[in-house]
Amino acid sequence: MLKPFRKVPVLNTANLLLVENEEQLQSRLGEIILQIEKDVKINVRLARKLPLPMDTQDSRPRIDLVVFIVNLMSERSLQCAEKSIKCLDPGFFLGKVCFVVTGARCLSVSTNHLLTVRKMAASLHCPLLFAEDQTSEGVSTVAVRLLGILKVAAGLVPLATGLSLNSLAHCVLPSDLDELDSLT
Amino acid sequence: MPQTPEPSVSGGRTDFPDENDSTCSNLSNRSLRIAEKEKKKSEAEAPLSVALTYFSEVKAGTPVLGNDELEGHLVRLERTALAQGLPPHAVSIMLEFAMSLRMTNAITSRVLRFLVPASVVPQEAVLRGVSWLCTQKLSQSNQLLFLRWVLTMFDMIDCKDNLRAIYGFIFSFVTDESMCPFICHLLYLLTIKEHVKAYRVRKLLDIQGKMGRQPYILQLLALYKVFSPEMVPHSVTSRMRTGFRNHDSTWKAPLAALAKRRVGQETPSMDLVLGLRQKPNRKKRKFHHLEVPDLAPAMGPNSRKGVCLQQLRSFSELLDNLSSIELPAQMGSLLSSAMALHYLDCVQDESAFLRLNFWLGHALQEEFFAGPVEGGQESMAEAAHFLSMLVSTQHFLQEGFSATEGFLCKFLEVWDGFLHRPQILELLSNIALVPSSQIKQVLFDPLMQLYFTSSVFFKCSVIECLSSMLRKWLTWHSVCAKEEGLNISLNNRSTMSLSLSGFLDSVLKLVQFVGRLTSAGLQLERCHTLLLHHALGFYEMVSDMYLKYSLPLFVMLPPGVFYPALLAADPIAVDRLGRIMFKYRQNLTHAKEQRLKQKELYLQISRSVYEEFNTYLVTMVGFLWNSVAFGPRSGLAINQRLLERTKVANYSSSFNLVHHPAFVNYAVDFHQQCWPERTDMDLNSIQAGRYWDWYVEYLYTQGFEGLRDFIKVSINPSATRQSTAHPLSQPSQSG
Amino acid sequence: MDPAVRNLLLRILRKIPTGKLEETLTKWTHLSRTQQQSLNYSQSKWILHENIVYLCEENGLTMKHVSELDMIYCMENPTSATWRACQLTDAEDDASSVELISFKEQFKAHLSELIRNVSIKIKKHDDESIWIRIAWGDHFSKPNHLKPTYVVHYLQTPYVFICNLSSKNKLLLHQALVLATKHGSIKDANLSGRSFHAVRDLLMGHYNKTFPTSHSRPLKERNLSPTHPNIVKEHIEQAEKRQQLAREAFGEGTVPKLERATYTLETRFRGGSGIDTFIDSERPFKTVVTFESKSLLASLRHCVSSGMAESPVSPLLSSITQKGRNYFVITDKTNKGPDMTTQSFRSNV
Repeated sequence: MLKPFRKVPVLNTANLLLVENEEQLQSRLGEIILQIEKDVKINVRLARKLPLPMDTQDSRPRIDLVVFIVNLMSERSLQCAEKSIKCLDPGFFLGKVCFVVTGARCLSVSTNHLLTVRKMAASLHCPLLFAEDQTSEGVSTVAVRLLGILKVAAGLVPLATGLSLNSLAHCVLPSDLDELDSLT
Repeated sequence: MPQTPEPSVSGGRTDFPDENDSTCSNLSNRSLRIAEKEKKKSEAEAPLSVALTYFSEVKAGTPVLGNDELEGHLVRLERTALAQGLPPHAVSIMLEFAMSLRMTNAITSRVLRFLVPASVVPQEAVLRGVSWLCTQKLSQSNQLLFLRWVLTMFDMIDCKDNLRAIYGFIFSFVTDESMCPFICHLLYLLTIKEHVKAYRVRKLLDIQGKMGRQPYILQLLALYKVFSPEMVPHSVTSRMRTGFRNHDSTWKAPLAALAKRRVGQETPSMDLVLGLRQKPNRKKRKFHHLEVPDLAPAMGPNSRKGVCLQQLRSFSELLDNLSSIELPAQMGSLLSSAMALHYLDCVQDESAFLRLNFWLGHALQEEFFAGPVEGGQESMAEAAHFLSMLVSTQHFLQEGFSATEGFLCKFLEVWDGFLHRPQILELLSNIALVPSSQIKQVLFDPLMQLYFTSSVFFKCSVIECLSSMLRKWLTWHSVCAKEEGLNISLNNRSTMSLSLSGFLDSVLKLVQFVGRLTSAGLQLERCHTLLLHHALGFYEMVSDMYLKYSLPLFVMLPPGVFYPALLAADPIAVDRLGRIMFKYRQNLTHAKEQRLKQKELYLQISRSVYEEFNTYLVTMVGFLWNSVAFGPRSGLAINQRLLERTKVANYSSSFNLVHHPAFVNYAVDFHQQCWPERTDMDLNSIQAGRYWDWYVEYLYTQGFEGLRDFIKVSINPSATRQSTAHPLSQPSQSG
Repeated sequence: MDPAVRNLLLRILRKIPTGKLEETLTKWTHLSRTQQQSLNYSQSKWILHENIVYLCEENGLTMKHVSELDMIYCMENPTSATWRACQLTDAEDDASSVELISFKEQFKAHLSELIRNVSIKIKKHDDESIWIRIAWGDHFSKPNHLKPTYVVHYLQTPYVFICNLSSKNKLLLHQALVLATKHGSIKDANLSGRSFHAVRDLLMGHYNKTFPTSHSRPLKERNLSPTHPNIVKEHIEQAEKRQQLAREAFGEGTVPKLERATYTLETRFRGGSGIDTFIDSERPFKTVVTFESKSLLASLRHCVSSGMAESPVSPLLSSITQKGRNYFVITDKTNKGPDMTTQSFRSNV
């Protein structure tokens, strides 16, 4: 079980954990984030799934934001995220978790998976980000957005906390999916 | 030596192109065959006509295998057809040959595949083709191939009235399961009002019962419904998404090549007076959903009644023929022609809009929701260009398409906030008024999630987009309200109509939403100047809604915007805040007067608006003028002991016009001009006596007009500068 | 020129892509230098082929020459049909002493003894392999050069690779091969694929195999480590382990290109008593599973190394490389109780 407050924070440091079963996007995201951010020290940890192995526990810093990257084209990716979430301490859900999904625009494949992720993110009150992983601009966009969330979650932005950001930007499930259908 | 060579040799030899002659003649002296070849060549002066004669005269049952004469002719025709297209009579002959199945199905298929017309397809040829189709001799794949050919070449058929005459025959094919999609598409293109019959509707519903809700049947039914709404049950067409697919894959490349060549030959002839929109040269792409078709008539020039848009050359011609204009076969082509847009704008043709929306909905769906983008930059640029065209079309028509709105709703749900951002936000700002019951789900929820997780520049562009959306709604309201009184129909083509309260509700929700976005956004972004200005821009419009757009709605700006602007280090922000407060005051005063004068019932302004306004006013005057910042009466009251602990000496005067961080450099400048010889700087001396008035005048000359207006109406120009704010009195009888 | 020759020539020419035509013709050596220079390769295929046919007519080439062209192209590009591998067994004592000339003579003699009207052409490739092109006829018809069988054999190895062999001629060829190579019998090696080289390499072990070790190799050798020092992979050890397993199972670097692997499961239905329809325990229950890919081994390796497939690698998959075959029959262990759930591999030929 990963706990948010087991370790003390380090000054001017933010630590990001990217969880992606396919390992397609996470290292690119990590590199871009490290490239853009110059003022704050960022540590990126990449994982395929949770729980994390015990032997890296000591070297692992306190995690400020856990990002689950889900590829909607793959059933397995979704299942893996669903399983991994159970290995997080509830404390993380107070503003230290967010979801990134890719492949959402392929409606023929991803509609049901998208609904599942939406439900998951909405029930956990987490932000849900959509990413265009096919283009480099799309990847850097989502990297910038994640960096913004990370800085808030790590307490580097005055007047803002992860919890307050969550309350503003968390995923909302359309109350009546049918109603939406009729409008579109 | 044999005088007649083997047919196989003669078949090909006649056809050597010229550049090959040199190599051949080098070899020629050595063989008699060469001489024969030369002879053959001179005989075949017009090889195309020879081939055509062969195909028009060849008997049924001629053997195919080993028939090199046939092969040679086929190859020659194929090459001509793919390079420059076939002339109309050749198309007729070859179609007749292929459809009559005089040789095998394989040959028929081959002929159909290269049957690319150079200019037009004679209607008679298609008619004969359809009659051959009725004999049911062709193999199924060839039947489908023929139908696809007809659909692809539909715009090239010179005249369609006879085809329309055999509508019933064509309709009879819908029962064939495999042909049904193509037949439906063909019928869709041919249908006119007279064709819509109750038994045909019944038949289609029957087929639908058997085959499920197929999009092609739905489309045809929807068209029938446009022509005769009473015949088609409503439930059929209510949930329709996609339209017909393109079937032109087989002939796409040669057709495109031909079109390109033709454009090269006759460039300027299409230059309309109104200007045909420029269409960039598209490169090859895997998917062509966004290819805007050329404007081509669904009826030929010699048809009886219609005039097609393509023929019109000037605006006056358009006006003359307005009633008899025939819509083009492919509605997407309307987007590319300014003339067509003029026509669309002035004609209330529901079927035109319905068809255009189908086309648009399908194109957008296929492009943006069909899966990962392939083709990289190029296809991105193409998609962006298409969206831009959509934007300018909507600007031209001053109206959004419902297909676009449906698309936006879906797209916002899965948007990453970057893909085609300028176009998407522009389209979003064009969206027609969303009913207040749906506005949260459709617009606010997805935007909130994007807004708060994105960069400050994205935040700014969202505020910009919402401002422009509000402006369009307000403008539209102010126009409609004058025309139609209070009962506003939302969109002259949509059935939904809104009462004024409904409209007010939506606007109120939008303003409140922006209030939430801006105040929380400013907090997150540490009062970013750019974001602050976008917020102020929005409230400049909101504060003037009553006077400028005659909308009786008053919403004050939230404290989250007011205080950052008041305490900003940027003088322009304070100035704009002054203008906003001035506008609010004007609007509220005017509304109060109107109310007293006319006793208009609908003009209910809630008490809290006055209270909020007065608090802001007192605070602002206290901060800027009276040097009583953070005092008990201001909206930003802070415990005195706490303030003392900050060790700031004159904290209560630290935000007046002299010491305010936004104006301090003006104060310094003024100080230097007043006392150029003084070396010690004492800004407090400006606050004394006449210097203050001079300083304020000096600020006015620096262009702070918003501040000037604010001060002129809010502050009593009496000699003493204490307690002079003019609060607005609430109307006593307000309930 | 005989129409049949002409026909064959045209057909062969059509088979050869224009890009490779010039090279193949040069190797063929039956067109003179000037004749070759007179050809214009940028012309349309149809005309180019006519010109080549014309030149061949001029040179008076016959079926023998034309079939040679076919053979040259096939030897250079052995990817046009499915190659099946066969294995010779029961080698006689002097099997290892067979050399090219005697093999040639023996094979030709045996085959023409068995069947008349067969055209055999034998060539030695640069890599010591013997290529045999057989055009089959029968007692009443001439050899059909349009559908020749190709056979490749490496002397002193038990492997033979065959493509385009009809079942009618299978026995004849097998017998001739067995006799010429001095072996007792021949059997199917259960391996086939579009690429001759892949099939050969897989069977003869000519590819980068990695052998199981307990030491993991230093990190730098592979590009697993992230580029930035601030990026740390949590599962790096598992990833390395998976890579190692994948390499052990499917080889390293470029692996032979195999298109498919087929598993046939023959079992009997076991399970709940409620379902009566399936409990016809006498009749076997057959299932066929086929894996297909452009390069099956590379795909499987990726599946394992990226963690898509659970490790350790199933022996079903790893035996593709270990046993050098891609057709398997899986049967129950015979005559065990009904609750027996494991399946055994049986080398089922």
